[in-house]
Amino acid sequence: MEARTLNNVSAMPAPTWHWLHMNDATVEVPEGLDAASDFAIDVAEGTAGAFDAAMAAAQEAWDAEHEGYEYQRNYTDEQAEKLGGTSLSAYQQGVDEVEASKDLARMFDMGMGGDATAYLREVAGTARVIEAKRGEHASASVRIAGLDGHANVAALDIVAAADSELDVCITVDSPTPGTGLTGSTIRVFAGDNAKVTITRVQTLDDSWIDLDDMGLFLGNQADVQINQTVLGAGKTYTGLAGDLRGTAANANVVTRYLGHGDQKIDFNYTLRHHGRKTTCDLYANGVLAGTSTKTLRGTIDLIRGAKGAEGKETDNVLLVDEGVHNKTVPTILCNEDDVMGNHGATIGHIRKEQMFYMASRGLSQKQAEAMFVSASLEDAYIEAPNDATREAVVRLGNKLVDGFGELVEDNEEELA
Amino acid sequence: MANETNPLLSIQGISASVEEKQILHNVNLDVAPGEVHVLMGPNGAGKSTMGHVAMGEPTYTVDSGKIIFDGQDITDLTPDKRSRAGLFLSFQAPVEVPGVPLTSFLRAITTGREGLDMKRKEFRKRIRSLADELDMDRAYLDRELGVGFSGGEKKKVEMLQLLLLQPKLAILDETDSGLDVDALSVVSHGMKLYQETCNGTLLIITHNTRILEHLSVDRVHVMVKGRIVAEGDASMIADIDQNGFEQFEQAAANAE
Repeated sequence: MEARTLNNVSAMPAPTWHWLHMNDATVEVPEGLDAASDFAIDVAEGTAGAFDAAMAAAQEAWDAEHEGYEYQRNYTDEQAEKLGGTSLSAYQQGVDEVEASKDLARMFDMGMGGDATAYLREVAGTARVIEAKRGEHASASVRIAGLDGHANVAALDIVAAADSELDVCITVDSPTPGTGLTGSTIRVFAGDNAKVTITRVQTLDDSWIDLDDMGLFLGNQADVQINQTVLGAGKTYTGLAGDLRGTAANANVVTRYLGHGDQKIDFNYTLRHHGRKTTCDLYANGVLAGTSTKTLRGTIDLIRGAKGAEGKETDNVLLVDEGVHNKTVPTILCNEDDVMGNHGATIGHIRKEQMFYMASRGLSQKQAEAMFVSASLEDAYIEAPNDATREAVVRLGNKLVDGFGELVEDNEEELA
Repeated sequence: MANETNPLLSIQGISASVEEKQILHNVNLDVAPGEVHVLMGPNGAGKSTMGHVAMGEPTYTVDSGKIIFDGQDITDLTPDKRSRAGLFLSFQAPVEVPGVPLTSFLRAITTGREGLDMKRKEFRKRIRSLADELDMDRAYLDRELGVGFSGGEKKKVEMLQLLLLQPKLAILDETDSGLDVDALSVVSHGMKLYQETCNGTLLIITHNTRILEHLSVDRVHVMVKGRIVAEGDASMIADIDQNGFEQFEQAAANAE
């Protein structure tokens, strides 16, 4: 395949200054990559079309609950005209238009969006369905491996019916040498009272690009936990969008990352609160070493009508090397007055008193940096949900830290 | 008495400043191997600065003088190299290092040290036995360094590192400050163990005589306003306990 440039990827819903160069990402897909969708999944195929059917049923239920409801625009056409037509941002106009449509499928977004979602769908073809039926408790493991010279992408529809529980673990690794692209594009439907946990751990070598695209829909009291661990790949792009549609739906997103060497990491999170008393927590924690760069866009959008909603976002990043570059933009958009939105970011270097303490125990700057990298990997190992993921962390860990495998083996013995 | 011909640590005419403010004035201090020295003085005398300058904290500028350790001029060495040469500084307020489990930190600081670069199992066994010896819950070994530790636990971690690294000389900066009786006895026990098992040499910085009760002190140095104003044997401790530092403060005023 020819080289491709994917534009307008992981775009912030409400852009900030263009000169900051962080409103969106551009992904360069190298030429010569053949399309593949070759991944392992340990459960039987779910019902074809389950996601679209679930969305259609959710639309029906929503329409029934909201009979006679009309979205209250930010400004009427008349008001906008009076104000000279410039009073609404492109973002506000867009929201007004899409919300007024009352079309849930139209309001469902993927986190990367732009050209990226289309590209990933094109490479992956038809999505595989992982499903938990009403009242069921199911789990699944997915392994995506880098295939030399390929763009290897998994398209998944994860559908948890009402009152079900569904755990999905996705490991993205490069067990054999090569170059190319890996990716996943995942639509998640969590029905009323469903509990969904998705853990994605990425441990690719530097010669790979990883695209992680996800969209969530949450029904009444649905509870979705997303755990993302980004340890490898030369370039990583993660985009997650979520529609907290049902009353008291909750989404927690925990992101752990390690930047080393010359890596580029791009995160985009957009959670839209539509339902009353919906809650979300976006928590990112990472270490940047070498000359790695990271951008994180986190948007919590409190839509008119989401009374009692609460959203919180945090990014804690430790910069252990002078050559790293970090950009964090936490954004709270608010069109409802009875809501709460909190954001915070802690961005810091190793403080000089910390460095002196570590030096007084014999660690040079380089050794201290290596220790932080090693500690991040150890943490990922301890948190790994299954053996395959642990193996993948050890594989990458051994490349980055001398004797990493032996180090974590100790922990195993300790636990035993 | 210090062995003047062959001191382990020899601070020779050190003057040091921070942001152009001079803190230490021509400090001379020798510590012979195996001895216990005490550096005393009122608050703000420059005692902690002396300890940090000896360890090479970059915040301070050495304006004149030199520091000889184990026969080597270490005045221009970075703190990590001083540590690897066998010098140790226990902090009055140990820092927290989020994201790094204590065990990982302990492993990192022993890696590459002659005689201490143990096999994995041996290392685990060693730090667990040290934790037990210091009455420290083993669970702390898997927690992030210093994060959420009480003052007493932080000082125990300092003692654990002292016993793990077995330095030739340890400077203990106000290790006794802010500790309750139980923690104080654990710290005293740690100091005693260090002396017994490593034939350790100690320079104890304190303004409190209590921690010295169970130690055989060889020499006392009194610092006031960045100057050593008096020196003597262990009998000075009882005198200071009785009469405080006023007598020395007068001497310092005369020296200015």
